[in-house]
Amino acid sequence: MFDLRSIIAGVRALFRKKQMEREMDEELRGYLDAAVKEKVRSGMNQEEALRAARIEMGSMDAVKEEIRSAGWESTLETIWQDLRFGLRVLRRNPGFTAVAALTLALGIGGTAVVFSLLDAVLLRPLPYPYSERLFRLFPLEGKRKRGVEQASYADFRDWQRQTRTFESLAAYGGDSLNLTGTAEPERVQASTVTPGFFATLGVSPVLGREFRSDDAESVAILSYALWQRRFGGDAGIVGKPIHVEGRAYTVVGVLPPEVRFRSHPWATPASDIFVPVVPTPARNWHSVRVLGRLAPGVSKEQALAEINGIAARLKQAYPESEALGIAFEPLAQYVVSGADQTVWLLLGAVAFVLLIACANVANLLLSQGAAREREMAIRTAVGASRGRILRQLLTESLLLASSGGAIGIALAYWAIPLVVRIAPPFSSLFSRLEDAHLHLNWTVLGFSALLSALSSVLFGVLPAWKATRPAQSSFAASRAGGMRGGLMALEVALSLVLLVGAGLMMKSLIRLLEVDVGFRTEHLLTMQVSLSEAKYSTPEKQAAYFDQVLQRLAAMPAVLSAGTVTDLPLTRNETSNGFEIPGPHPGQGTAGYHALSAGYFRTMGIPLLNGRELEMGDSANSPLVGVINRSMAGKYWPNENPVGKTIVVYRFVAERTSAGTHVQFKPHMLAIVGIVSDIRQLGLDAPPDPELFMPYDQWPAQEMSLVLRVAAEPSSLIPRVEKEIWRVDPDQPVTDIKTMDEWVAREAAGRRFILLLIGAFASIAAVLAAVGIYGVASYGMRQRTHEIGVRMALGARGQQVVWLILRQNLSWLVIGIAAGIAGAFALTRLLASYLYSVRPTDASTFGLIVLVQLAIAALASFIPARRATKVDPMVALRYE
Amino acid sequence: MKSSELVQGTLDMLILKTLALEPLHGYGIALRIEQISKGVFRVNPGSLFPAFRRLERAGWIKPEWRPTGNNRRAKFYQLTTLGRKQLKAETEEWARQLAAITRIMRAPAIGNL
Repeated sequence: MFDLRSIIAGVRALFRKKQMEREMDEELRGYLDAAVKEKVRSGMNQEEALRAARIEMGSMDAVKEEIRSAGWESTLETIWQDLRFGLRVLRRNPGFTAVAALTLALGIGGTAVVFSLLDAVLLRPLPYPYSERLFRLFPLEGKRKRGVEQASYADFRDWQRQTRTFESLAAYGGDSLNLTGTAEPERVQASTVTPGFFATLGVSPVLGREFRSDDAESVAILSYALWQRRFGGDAGIVGKPIHVEGRAYTVVGVLPPEVRFRSHPWATPASDIFVPVVPTPARNWHSVRVLGRLAPGVSKEQALAEINGIAARLKQAYPESEALGIAFEPLAQYVVSGADQTVWLLLGAVAFVLLIACANVANLLLSQGAAREREMAIRTAVGASRGRILRQLLTESLLLASSGGAIGIALAYWAIPLVVRIAPPFSSLFSRLEDAHLHLNWTVLGFSALLSALSSVLFGVLPAWKATRPAQSSFAASRAGGMRGGLMALEVALSLVLLVGAGLMMKSLIRLLEVDVGFRTEHLLTMQVSLSEAKYSTPEKQAAYFDQVLQRLAAMPAVLSAGTVTDLPLTRNETSNGFEIPGPHPGQGTAGYHALSAGYFRTMGIPLLNGRELEMGDSANSPLVGVINRSMAGKYWPNENPVGKTIVVYRFVAERTSAGTHVQFKPHMLAIVGIVSDIRQLGLDAPPDPELFMPYDQWPAQEMSLVLRVAAEPSSLIPRVEKEIWRVDPDQPVTDIKTMDEWVAREAAGRRFILLLIGAFASIAAVLAAVGIYGVASYGMRQRTHEIGVRMALGARGQQVVWLILRQNLSWLVIGIAAGIAGAFALTRLLASYLYSVRPTDASTFGLIVLVQLAIAALASFIPARRATKVDPMVALRYE
Repeated sequence: MKSSELVQGTLDMLILKTLALEPLHGYGIALRIEQISKGVFRVNPGSLFPAFRRLERAGWIKPEWRPTGNNRRAKFYQLTTLGRKQLKAETEEWARQLAAITRIMRAPAIGNL
């Protein structure tokens, strides 16, 4: 119908409204006159004819309304009218409007915050062209064909040579490197990459070029950020040498600013420097991750078929290889691993808050609707159709939702940076948020607008439908009561689910922080030192460096004792390896391998249980000795004393040749000299595993952590400690300077993040539900003021009146709580992977939360009930 | 005699048909439809006037104010060329549908076979 003629006519009607109205009046009057005349002609008298004609015609206003709505322009007009009228209605009830808008703001704002996380983590594509064609390839191993993160370099080369479905394959690995030279020494995140890596990503450097296969080993590509930060954006950087690990590397390129590559999803920060992968020919040495770009037009199925063929051929050629197959997954999926689950969980939780908010506002509107029954009746009487009133009410809802949405967006603007700040570091969630530079953006704004519209329908339709029903009958009234009660039950149920979730997380976190880590975490300062290979090329040089540093640190006045170890507890680092038990009953096992100084156990406060500690005398020239932990003793020597036993351990040896780095594990005999008690090594939530501790003089390492037990506040010592270490070697970066308590906090950060968010949502939900219950109870009380007056006049006591009001809500409350318990039972298993030593159906948490919810409900309904007892019977009786 | 609701969508066609003979005002059209259908169809103003507005917008009828004596005037509607074409099309379509419906109604009821 939207042809030009109709548009012109409509516009003309809008501008010549008065004339159109006049003509319509005249035409209708003419119609009536003609009808009367006709009836008189057929024998009625004048009065009868007029009456009959009027009856036939019906309400003149209704007819006019019908005529007006025949043209499209009337829709515009009514929308405008509805908006103006709606605003007036909302202004007239400032209390109602404020409560409703704030309620919606909490729901919409909360959802906008979580949606912005979802947007940053899941929706935003990777910053590479055609990133949907990027995949990560990985080998499958073992009987169950478990996916292994890294492939061997040799396998990667074979895949690369044989594949046709992948346009290109490249390999990369993670590292961190010492940067020295012009500025302070620093340790930066690095990635090792093969030639063609950036072409596979689809990235071209802003300066210079990427690696070629004929490049020397010591070439480097810089991230844009490092180039700006450390080299002042020097435009002539390409071709210049920089000092990496004590050697000169030539810069060949600088990457564009949007490329923030991470060697694994939770590596923080993103890689700042890229150096070539050093080839390792051994097929059992898994050292690289593999990236592939699917050729255009090739399906995943085709690629899989080809890859399976390659795997089968390799298996035949190298039967001793552990690889049983090859699999691949989209790079985008790998990059968010784990974070997606968290984000969806939070979105689910916040959706509950939004639903509760909508239920609350729907309830408010229902109560309002009761107060506006007269208004609706009058409107119907003067010719408003049901659809017209419905539209009017929905416009009011939309206005309400829009104002709620606007406040919600303001809330989100304030809350998003807050959420980003508490995001747990070293998680893929953190990485994605960091890369996204998250803030309120158009996507989030658009989503919030959509959400406001959606919620206006959600909370507005039911009350509007109810308001346009010709009510009056007690049946309709009781049904409205049921609606109110049902909405209240829904709120109670949803908030109960959230509270149970928050309760479970809270219990997990408490349990986690209560874990006995096995050593004293307070007053411990830790830091990491990674020696450059070029400068500290021999084990003797490495050991000498740490000897000197430890001596200097131990001599500091505030330091009680100092030690060093390869893998600090609670840092998620561990090198584990196999060992063998020789003898008449040979056996083998796996343990974490740690090199440490003699003072480490004393510094940490880890008690010796049996035998002796490692001593200064255990030097490179004396027989290999080791101390094991109680778990290792219990697991491998359950019925005997392991002290004095000998085991075979394997030492990792890497040899550089022209063909690349040859790696192998060489066996050594080691005598167990002592047993120490267990500690939480890997993380707070990881139960103790077998661990083997060896003196670093015998088991040298380039990368060691230093631990100091101090008498002062640990972080106050940092500058002095750094200076002391730099006295030994001013070019040596010291990284990860943290107190042990900070490591503990970092361990709990992931669960703390979930708890804070779910806890916040649950608190909002509980408050909204309480407001909802309060609203329903006080409405019920107002409805029955008359009855209460009568009862009190007849001698009912306050208690009975309170009970009367409470009883009205009770059945709905019970239904809500029952549904909430059922819902929580069904849903808390989604939390399972975030819980620690608490089952998702933990009875005590459920019980406690139900009690809390009951208390909230009782209080929220008690206040209005109590007010009911204050009703003056005389006033109440006159109320009608 | 009991009056019926108009078959959905036929009001526009009936108005066009009525106006095919001569221009008429609102009541005249209503009366004509009622008379010709021998009182079967009674059109109320609530649907008649919106239909005028619709047909006018479509360009099928054209309003014209004409004096009706004692200093009064009435809005007469007359068929336009476009309207005449539309009436022809609708009449043909109606005949086609009617024939089809009649065939269906006359067909033996399969359930009774």
